[in-house]
Amino acid sequence: MAKVEPTFRAALDRHGLSDDQLKAIYRTMLAQRQLDNRGFQLNRQGKVPFALGSEGHEALQAGAAMAFERGKDILAPYYRDLGLAIGIGLTPYEIMLSIFARVADHNGGRQFPNHYSSKAAGLMSFSSILAAHIPHAVGAAYALKYRKEIGRAVLVTFGDGTTSEGEWHESMNFAAVHRLPIVFLCENNLWAISTPLSLQMGQPDIYKRAEGYGMPGEQFDGFDPLVTYAAVKRAMDRARSGGGPTLLEGVCYRFLAHSTDDNDMTYRTRDEVTEHRKDDPVPRFERVLIEAGIITAEDAEAMKKDVLSETNGATDRAEAMPYPESSELYTHLHEGAWQPWL
Amino acid sequence: MRTMLMHRTLENRGFQLNRQGKIPFASASEGHEAVQAGAAMAFERGKDLLVPYYRDLGLALGIGLTPYEVLLSLFARAADHSAGRQFPHHYASRRLGLYTISSVIAAQTSHAAGAAYALKLRKQTGRAVLTTFGDGATSEGEWHESVNFAAVHRLPLALLCENNEWAISTPLSLQMAQPDIYKRAPGYGIPGVVVDGFDPIAVYAAVREAMERARRGGGPTLIEAKCYRFLAHTTDDDDRTYRTREEVELRRRDDPVPKFERLLLEQGVLNAQEMEQLKAAVLAETNEATDRAEAMPYPRPQGLHEELHGRDGGPWV
Repeated sequence: MAKVEPTFRAALDRHGLSDDQLKAIYRTMLAQRQLDNRGFQLNRQGKVPFALGSEGHEALQAGAAMAFERGKDILAPYYRDLGLAIGIGLTPYEIMLSIFARVADHNGGRQFPNHYSSKAAGLMSFSSILAAHIPHAVGAAYALKYRKEIGRAVLVTFGDGTTSEGEWHESMNFAAVHRLPIVFLCENNLWAISTPLSLQMGQPDIYKRAEGYGMPGEQFDGFDPLVTYAAVKRAMDRARSGGGPTLLEGVCYRFLAHSTDDNDMTYRTRDEVTEHRKDDPVPRFERVLIEAGIITAEDAEAMKKDVLSETNGATDRAEAMPYPESSELYTHLHEGAWQPWL
Repeated sequence: MRTMLMHRTLENRGFQLNRQGKIPFASASEGHEAVQAGAAMAFERGKDLLVPYYRDLGLALGIGLTPYEVLLSLFARAADHSAGRQFPHHYASRRLGLYTISSVIAAQTSHAAGAAYALKLRKQTGRAVLTTFGDGATSEGEWHESVNFAAVHRLPLALLCENNEWAISTPLSLQMAQPDIYKRAPGYGIPGVVVDGFDPIAVYAAVREAMERARRGGGPTLIEAKCYRFLAHTTDDDDRTYRTREEVELRRRDDPVPKFERLLLEQGVLNAQEMEQLKAAVLAETNEATDRAEAMPYPRPQGLHEELHGRDGGPWV
């Protein structure tokens, strides 16, 4: 993998983003970090059965979410996409309903924790099966093309491990042949549960696979939300205007274990994690915003407090909600009047 | 040259026997003669393993399968290596290191990667696996998973794509968004090469280099040999429904069999008289093998459950 240089700069290259949008990206990153940790805490307290760790993916997801146009685009994420879900408009309360598996959850409390879905947000229901959602996403993009819905695109995300799956390959190829309006965003965190990238593929750059499919490929620093935004925006604009698919690779790192059911100390060293922590994208972006004068240190503290208080409120509110009744097992399986999801 | 001539003669014999109502089915490989005869020459019998697909008549002949064995497969007779129970043109020969052929597209690439993994685990350096497939197979998930696995573990495997531009009725332009299969190799971190599949010497050189790299522990290679399928996909296919006669006629001008014949005559490797003798010998052998195979009995229904496992139960590789 090409060593990606940190992107500190005196004059911030904001890629056309307003101050409010930059602050929104930072807030999404704070909320993701807070909710991610809350999931782990609730699991250790015995209150939720399971949570997935996405620490280290904050910049990638908040940046990508900013390039998503709600009400037009479709998001087909994977199970480590808490920040993307928040970034496109899911509330902390909706996240907590999913983690607590309460009846008010969009899935009626019947999906895995961190597997949200929201028709209102254009957020497709998650598949836990690696790469199974890639054909779903490509199918959605095919529907958009088939119906000539120019100006809309699908954003699909996945980890590095998924790129070894046959479904991934078939989907990439199909999307390329038919020039579908879709962006393939790989969140390469260097670990597929316990499999390091060096045992995942014979060369370290996922974006280099793009040429073989006949589509553009681009790699960028996934710890930088602004270069992420710029890359995803370019790719989504290309897809929306009929220019076909793009493969993007944001290089980041998974700071936590794969999930609350995983002990990463059995397969990687603390030293490795500590080394990557030095580049932690959340404090890094905070410094960028402060140095560029977008926010002050006091603003940052106030935002953190606000996010913590919102997380606490959402936690208490969701926890107080009832579980689904067993009598509801067969409800909500289909819409009353059948119609396509898109 | 002889393998190419035999390939073409046996290939046409399969279609003739089908049209005569004597055999149920034959698949076509006209246009693949140079790829297969060239690749077979780079295969070391007794050491290497071949995991082919269903369009590899010439490869099977080139590594030592006899016309009689091919016709036993076409006629589905009891004396066939699969006892007449496999599809026509789906040979297998443990003696030759020729894996039984899977009709399922790309299923064989996983088998081949598995065989190569076994060679590596047993530290059998100096041996390699050659697996072949068409352009359509490269769109399959198993193909991707197999190439990636072979690349990660640097397996002794040569992946030879016989790109004939048609996956049954799907043209290459609807198969992938860019026309060069070998360009997928860098994405896996393995070398990728492209050769003229109508030139048996170029194919031999490319496959030999890949097999030698594999045998000495240098990992897999993806080779793309560009050729063309002159006949329909099989005897059950009518290619006039999806491609023009003009297209086929245009490509026929480069027919690799007369082309290689001219080359050998020009170079003085063979004279015209020797060439005619060679063709006559190939035809005579094909006729003799046809009669002999046709005269053999079909398998007995009672034998349905026999010969399903090797008697010694040992691993195949």
